[in-house]
Amino acid sequence: MGKTVLIVDDSNTMRKIVSRALRQAGIDFDEILEAGDGQEALAVLADNQVDVVLSDINMPNMNGLEFLKAKAEDPAIKDIPVVMISTETGADIINEAKSYGAKGAVKKPFTPELINATLGPLL
Amino acid sequence: MEYAKIIIESTREIFSSMIMLEVTSGDPFQRGHEKLNNSISGLVGLAGTIKGMLAIHLPDQTAITVTSAFLGMGVEEIDEDVRDAIGELANMVAGNIKSALDPKGSDIKLSMPSAVYGEEYSVDCLAHAQSITVPFELEGKTFLVELQIREEG
Repeated sequence: MGKTVLIVDDSNTMRKIVSRALRQAGIDFDEILEAGDGQEALAVLADNQVDVVLSDINMPNMNGLEFLKAKAEDPAIKDIPVVMISTETGADIINEAKSYGAKGAVKKPFTPELINATLGPLL
Repeated sequence: MEYAKIIIESTREIFSSMIMLEVTSGDPFQRGHEKLNNSISGLVGLAGTIKGMLAIHLPDQTAITVTSAFLGMGVEEIDEDVRDAIGELANMVAGNIKSALDPKGSDIKLSMPSAVYGEEYSVDCLAHAQSITVPFELEGKTFLVELQIREEG
């Protein structure tokens, strides 16, 4: 059975690119949902069964780190795995994201193969 | 610090991996205050131990070509998709440059990307900043990646 993924990025372009990369990676997704920031992502998670989240870090309203912290406080969604996709992949920020529950990080620019290698073990 | 080399490697990597287009770099130069015509510029600010601005300047038709390849669909004019795509392109180039200059990721912050566009405009940044521009060629069209940078301390 296919999975449901949530892509969180304030750039509509990047959400389309990540969607395309997911399809090219050959991962079996039934549905791809989108959100423009962490606040929207929490709303989507409240209303949908999501199997994995791909989230940018730098976003307005609620950034990726704030989203991770808020998600960790909600028992209904805290165990949904989150992978960060961002230009920000310095060791300090990635360690901070992992301390808030992120399972990994993919640096932009990325290839479908890298997406597959990172997401595959989580699905 | 070989900023030109970082610009060239960053830009080539992004175009080949994300947009599946090969770009050729030309000789770096220092751009003056000349106006940009019928173009769009993606801009990202840098702050912290290194301050400055990363800009990518594309003529309209080049931006449309790049966006169409980026999105995998045809684009006809400088619309919201193009502005978003060019901003994101600048964001990724700036991110690569930041990774090269600050591997830990804690000394340099990037701003949200912006896009400026129109029939005639100028883009400038800091006074007393080192400025380097690299021209790139893509399918017979040229665009510029410009880094204005000042190291603090």
